[in-house]
Amino acid sequence: MSLELVVQQALNGISFGALLFILAAGLSLIFGMMDVVNLAHGAFYMLGAYVALQVVQITGQFWIAIVVAPVVLAAVGFVIEPLLLRRLRGRHLDQVLLTIGVGFVIVDLIGLYWGREVRTLPFPPGFDRSIDIGGSAYPTYRLFVIAFAVLLAGTLYWIHRRTAMGALIRAGVDDAQMLSALGVDTDRLFAITFAVGAGLAGLAGVVAAPAFGIQPGMDVDALIFSLIVVVVGGLGTLNGAAAGAALVGPAETFGKVLFPQFALALIFAIMAVILLGRPSGLFGRIRIGR
Amino acid sequence: MEPSERPERRPKITRRGFLVAGSAAALVAACAPAAAPSPSPTTAAATKAAATAAATTAVSTPGPTLKLGMLLPFTKVYAELGASQKRAAELYLKQAGGKLANRSVQFIFEDEANDPQVGLQKTQKFIEQDQADLMMGIIATPIAYAIRNAVDSAKFIYIGTNAGGNAMTRDTTDCKPTCKSKYVFRTSFSAWQVSQPLGEWLSRTPATKEFFLCFSNYAFGTESAAAFVEGLAKNGGKETGRVAPPLFNSDFVPFVTQIKAQSTKNVYSFFSGTDAIGYIRAWNQLGMPAAGYKMFGAGFLTEQDVLKEVKDQANGAITSLFWSVELDNPENKAFRDLYQKEYNLLPDVFAVQMWDGMKALDEALKKTGGNTKDKDALIAALEGVSFKSPRGDFSFDKATHNVIHDIYIREVKTAGGQTVNTIVDKFGKVTDPGK
Repeated sequence: MSLELVVQQALNGISFGALLFILAAGLSLIFGMMDVVNLAHGAFYMLGAYVALQVVQITGQFWIAIVVAPVVLAAVGFVIEPLLLRRLRGRHLDQVLLTIGVGFVIVDLIGLYWGREVRTLPFPPGFDRSIDIGGSAYPTYRLFVIAFAVLLAGTLYWIHRRTAMGALIRAGVDDAQMLSALGVDTDRLFAITFAVGAGLAGLAGVVAAPAFGIQPGMDVDALIFSLIVVVVGGLGTLNGAAAGAALVGPAETFGKVLFPQFALALIFAIMAVILLGRPSGLFGRIRIGR
Repeated sequence: MEPSERPERRPKITRRGFLVAGSAAALVAACAPAAAPSPSPTTAAATKAAATAAATTAVSTPGPTLKLGMLLPFTKVYAELGASQKRAAELYLKQAGGKLANRSVQFIFEDEANDPQVGLQKTQKFIEQDQADLMMGIIATPIAYAIRNAVDSAKFIYIGTNAGGNAMTRDTTDCKPTCKSKYVFRTSFSAWQVSQPLGEWLSRTPATKEFFLCFSNYAFGTESAAAFVEGLAKNGGKETGRVAPPLFNSDFVPFVTQIKAQSTKNVYSFFSGTDAIGYIRAWNQLGMPAAGYKMFGAGFLTEQDVLKEVKDQANGAITSLFWSVELDNPENKAFRDLYQKEYNLLPDVFAVQMWDGMKALDEALKKTGGNTKDKDALIAALEGVSFKSPRGDFSFDKATHNVIHDIYIREVKTAGGQTVNTIVDKFGKVTDPGK
């Protein structure tokens, strides 16, 4: 591999990682707060892509879709949490099973409404081509994905660290029972958290759609990658999602290109090595009583 | 501190336990044999071929209901292919007046879920529980391989309508990974039939003798690439290198980046469905046409499901297949019009393959007077079937039971807002070299 090729593939890997961060952030957030591995996360991601498709078909505007789809998904999350998950609070395995069911239902409803054909979302205007980087062409949309993810990470970090909402979330992650005892309405907090997590999945769906297409089965791929990212990075923390994505994205890209037969095995090998050294992931919290 | 002072919220293992259970569930779902599809179409002529005089007499007495097991994917990634074949089967029966020969037909549709184990279970259900007369269908090659021994030992006739792995209709050493059976017919194609002629055709021209290969890394993709290279070698052409993305790869930019980093401008590209769309879009994003690279491949690369999404981005691609929706013959026109009238959409190659399967069975049953009990007579009747299909002349190779058909070389062109596969040349009566 020439240096130029290495640089290009590194950019490819980083932009894939950027997408993984958007995807994994929501999963990690919900887990951190509610102790629930939301296995409907892949279905939320898929629904985000299809909502975006619908919006683009109606308005012709990608930029409207990138706002509308996460909002719709947040609304879905905001309804599902009180309606279904809350009834099983404290029964975590049941909640996880419930999210699997929710995912199946969403995926089948998508199939009924939008069909099961492969679809694509056009690139937003101006992002359908390549620009020259160091003498070789590089797709502008992938640069947009990197920039967008960095911006999103900054925003999330700021909310997490500097706002009252962020303080509540951090407190909830540490000890939700204590937070409740202090008079905070944790029901509302959980619903909001679940909504934000679902919204982030939807956002990832929109951002991924132009580059990776829209098709049945995309939910499973997304779920697996987001689980790998949060396990490697550490559950329940934003830093963990970022670190996991930064590692898994490039590893996946280089693995696929250099050792196509072992690409998936490479990812799992990395995961195994990290878990041996740090059982709770790179930035996972070791908690009292665990 | 006394343990009791701070009650644990939950047992220690819950968190990790949940995750492991959840991940395992997801992985099982995901890894469940990502059986690869071998796409390709065939159509039987919409117009009914004249039945023989003898058959006509036999057909006049109504027989018992014909139970037809239809094993197709109705979920997962090939759901749309299954839906297309179901539409074609139902349409054929409808235009035939609800009967094949003198037998009214009961379809038993089962979902193979793109999983060889599930496919085998459903096949056994057709044989034992449903007491079906015969079965049709199967999109992905691994599923066809998985059921071969079951239908062979049960002397149960199976008409394959897609899965194109070469071994299904060939004699192979120790029957590995599978081998032909007298009870197995195939109306679709073999990997060799689709890609070898393209290699042979291209290597006649000095400008297209050397190719870089990029293909989906699964049995059908590998077989197709090998057949293409075999075709190239006929006129002194050769491969200069290869890269093989996994099947259902979501991100093609890294692979097209690899292609661009090497100097052979002609690229054999074997992809279908979602992979084909991702590949062609990545190809254009990286400016490959402007850099002088050209795309060639098996026809699935540029079938309608792909073209309707990528449109003129596929312009100039040269592919080979045994059918094209634009193919100009009376049978294709009749089939296309009928299909469009019924479903308000254009038929695809998968619909043609099922249509021809139904047609072949219909013709054979007319010859046996609707008898499906005498397997040898029905096999002989199927072997002798020949008719005008939407793809052109259709017949079975008696030695292998694989279809014999013409292969068209097509080029993607856009005119008047329509992107289509324009026929540029034809190989007559291509027969798989299997014995």
